[in-house]
Amino acid sequence: MIPNILTILLMIPLAGAVLILTIPKENKNVIRSLAIGTSIVALIVSIVVWGAFDRSITGLQFAQLVPWFDLGYLTINYEIGIDGLSMPLLLLTTFVTTLSLFASLSIKERVKEFYISSLVLLTGMLGVFVALDMFLFFLFFELTLIPMFFIIGIWGGKAKDYAAFKFLVYTGLGSGIMFITFIAMYYFGAKAMYFQDTSFSIVQLAEVFANPANENVLTSAVRGGLFLALFVAFAIKLPVFPFHTWLPNAHVEAPTAASMILAGILLKMGGYGLIRIGIGILPDQAARFATLIAVLGVVNIIYGALLALVQTDLKRLVAFSSISHMGIVLLGIASFTESGLQGAIFQLVSHGFISALLFFMVGAIYERTKTRTISEMGGLSKSIPILAGFMLAAAMASVGLPGLSGFVSELLAFIGIFGASAEIIPAAKAFGVIAGLGIILTAAYLLWAMQRTTFGQLDEKFSGLPDARPLEYIPMIGLFGLSLLIGIYPNILSDVINITVIDILSKIGG
Amino acid sequence: MSAFDANWSLMTPEIVLAALALLIFTIDFMTGIREKKPYLGRLSILALLVSAFLVLFMNGEGGAIADIFIVDTFSTVFKIILLLAVAMVIAISMHYLDKNDDVYQGEFYSLMLFATLGAMLMVSSADFVTLFIGLELLSISSYCLAGFKKHQRKSTEAAIKYIILGGTASAFILYGMSFLYGLTGTTSVVEIGKSIPALYADYPYIITMSMLFMLAGFGFKISAVPFHMWAPDVYEGSPTPVTAFLSVVSKLAAFALVIRVFFVAFWSISEEWTFLFATIAALTMISGNFIALTQKNVKRLMAYSGIAQAGYLLVPLAVSANYAPMAVNTIVFYSVAYVLMTAGAFAVISYVTEESHSEEMNSFAGLYRRSPFMAIAMTVFLVSLAGLPFTAGFVGKAQIFIGAVTGELLWLAVIMILTSIISFYYYFGFIKQMYMREPKANDANLKVPAGLSAVITIALALTIILGVLPGILTNFFMEVSHWMF
Repeated sequence: MIPNILTILLMIPLAGAVLILTIPKENKNVIRSLAIGTSIVALIVSIVVWGAFDRSITGLQFAQLVPWFDLGYLTINYEIGIDGLSMPLLLLTTFVTTLSLFASLSIKERVKEFYISSLVLLTGMLGVFVALDMFLFFLFFELTLIPMFFIIGIWGGKAKDYAAFKFLVYTGLGSGIMFITFIAMYYFGAKAMYFQDTSFSIVQLAEVFANPANENVLTSAVRGGLFLALFVAFAIKLPVFPFHTWLPNAHVEAPTAASMILAGILLKMGGYGLIRIGIGILPDQAARFATLIAVLGVVNIIYGALLALVQTDLKRLVAFSSISHMGIVLLGIASFTESGLQGAIFQLVSHGFISALLFFMVGAIYERTKTRTISEMGGLSKSIPILAGFMLAAAMASVGLPGLSGFVSELLAFIGIFGASAEIIPAAKAFGVIAGLGIILTAAYLLWAMQRTTFGQLDEKFSGLPDARPLEYIPMIGLFGLSLLIGIYPNILSDVINITVIDILSKIGG
Repeated sequence: MSAFDANWSLMTPEIVLAALALLIFTIDFMTGIREKKPYLGRLSILALLVSAFLVLFMNGEGGAIADIFIVDTFSTVFKIILLLAVAMVIAISMHYLDKNDDVYQGEFYSLMLFATLGAMLMVSSADFVTLFIGLELLSISSYCLAGFKKHQRKSTEAAIKYIILGGTASAFILYGMSFLYGLTGTTSVVEIGKSIPALYADYPYIITMSMLFMLAGFGFKISAVPFHMWAPDVYEGSPTPVTAFLSVVSKLAAFALVIRVFFVAFWSISEEWTFLFATIAALTMISGNFIALTQKNVKRLMAYSGIAQAGYLLVPLAVSANYAPMAVNTIVFYSVAYVLMTAGAFAVISYVTEESHSEEMNSFAGLYRRSPFMAIAMTVFLVSLAGLPFTAGFVGKAQIFIGAVTGELLWLAVIMILTSIISFYYYFGFIKQMYMREPKANDANLKVPAGLSAVITIALALTIILGVLPGILTNFFMEVSHWMF
């Protein structure tokens, strides 16, 4: 296998961005094709990684470790690698980003800056999913902040300033808490090791925290505090109620492509971080707070769904549905069963495709109707049948129609929560029942919205709207196709994540 | 040992700089005072570079002149930082002076060089008398520079305020020094450091008083809260390059002084002052960042941002008691980062505010359209000041932060992070102006003059290089066995 393939993958978007920097801004089509070409190359590389990924071993693959800089008592390493948890998310990232760049062909203003920002963003997101050193993880996590601020602030809708700054301050706060927690984790880990050969390595810290001999330093209170702080940090990104208020603004004001990336990938960084670092280093504490996680998961599902139900703006509705769907991730994690955790990871991936598709459809329809207000639309299936059809399909996937990916992930998460051991969550079944009610609400708001937009009386002014352009088929078919593929043949995904899930769970048991 | 036996060659860089400054002074007199004299600016930069070269290569081993003037790794590193910072400031000034006819050119350069000389003396001196002379040379030259636009009310006001408050601060420092002299009978920092442990048992209050007086005086110079009130007014009124000088050179020289005095003279009673520094650092970070939020004037904003940055730099002093070399490493790294990002930012600010004849935030509106290079460079400087990844500022701040957590000052670390996040808001306010606002109709595209663009390019390149490969500096620190004698 190609050595350092992950580093190459990280460098591809940056190289593309630098290349675009040298091209005069008037050559918009050259810039567009270069950017899309770059992302396709990254996609191909990640498919190669997917193909070469060994599904039978638990450890980290394609790992690479280079000392980066030395602070005397502490070495900061460039340490990367992937396992069954990060592999699907890596592919999701390149895939959704590539399709979102196709979707942003409608951007006419300041094309050069847009594509440079998007490619830098891509590097940041890929970096988060491959980093195995907490310092590096944080660097990449923060790297996503700046381009996203620009994308929302420059190409966003009416209230873009407010949305951009809210995004900046909220996620900045999340990053701040994350950084404090990382350093505190490092510090307590290092203390347990008497400050010998310490680093920010997730693998190393997981071993130190798992060693019972270190319990005099890593007391239960310390561990609990660290886990809760981590949880808050990632909860802002995921987002978990009550830290979700940045999301509706950011998603609604962002241009279509950015909404796709925000909902499709950036939110997943929160869930990924929670599993990789929260459960990876502090599995016992994750189990200890399982009830809390489950409660918040249920609150997310119900609260997100109720708010989605009352939205009059289609894009806001989709944004709130994201909050609701992220609740399922929490619920799956909280169950600490094999299927539950699988469901959580499935949901991260599946929601990545579905929410990106939904946002794309909303964007494409808005481009034609110039309105996102649900009540002003109606009968769109008559004038733009293909777009309306795909939107309906996306909504069905989001509701969890069997045969599509949303169904698989919800099913797994629910099997998980119903089978959760009473030692970890008391009254797990009750959580399952309440969350199930939330799923009914999902069907309610989505179907109701679809009924009001795609069916019914067609407004005169919407007749004769142009239907899907050839290039719009690429994101639509790509995203829907993968959702369908996972829905029909979930093995393609579970094959990769299964062994890692078992490995994670074995740490909680032991 | 008589004065003639001393190893005067240790002072070569200072002597050469003084000679060249006098030369510039003389040339200025001989050529009439009212002309534009860009060649003097070039000569000044040359003088600074020669001096930096001498600092670097003259005294490999280091040494001391009778414990009064010390050349060690610490002073060498700080002198290099200061000299290069002043060279950047002068490059900024050359453009500024070219645009402003009401400023006497020659005096400007020679005063700046004398101020630099004072700063160099400060970082090398280990005696209260030399130290005070260096400090006053720096301060008095700065007072003059602050009032250089003498036909402008604000500039004169700035100079008067600065002189009165600065004089008071100097008096505080002297008063504090006099206590120690009275107790120990010596002005040598090293000797005082040796005798304090024994004396502290008998005279704890006098020594504490002396320390507090000095702390207040030094706090003024580094613009730490609650001694910071002068900074916004003086920064606003001074000519922009002088503002850059004050926020970079004066501040860092004073930091070097604080480290020298507290790490040598007061080292044995460090548990008495670490908490003081922690408190001051916390206050400084909080007030600097919060007040900066409300500022509309760019230079005032930079003043508060500079106060906040001083707060970050104070944090390592608060945790220094655990491991002093680490604190010095951290401060030096952040000082380098601070020089690069602040000087770079001031280069852009000086140019933009001069071109638009306005010092309001909205003079940056649409800068990206008018000059993409400057807008991108400014973005990097601001992102670095805010402490976001892949910039020197981030690595520096992360080191300070790791130090604070490792030193078990978690509360201070938390304040540092939270106030940094607040700073996003105003730093990104600039970015909003540059990218998300349209330029005013009559604003033409900007052409960046060569000198300024050199400063900006160097600062930009180094900010990113140190952010991506911090090992360049940190590996050097690993080799330093001891910073001070």
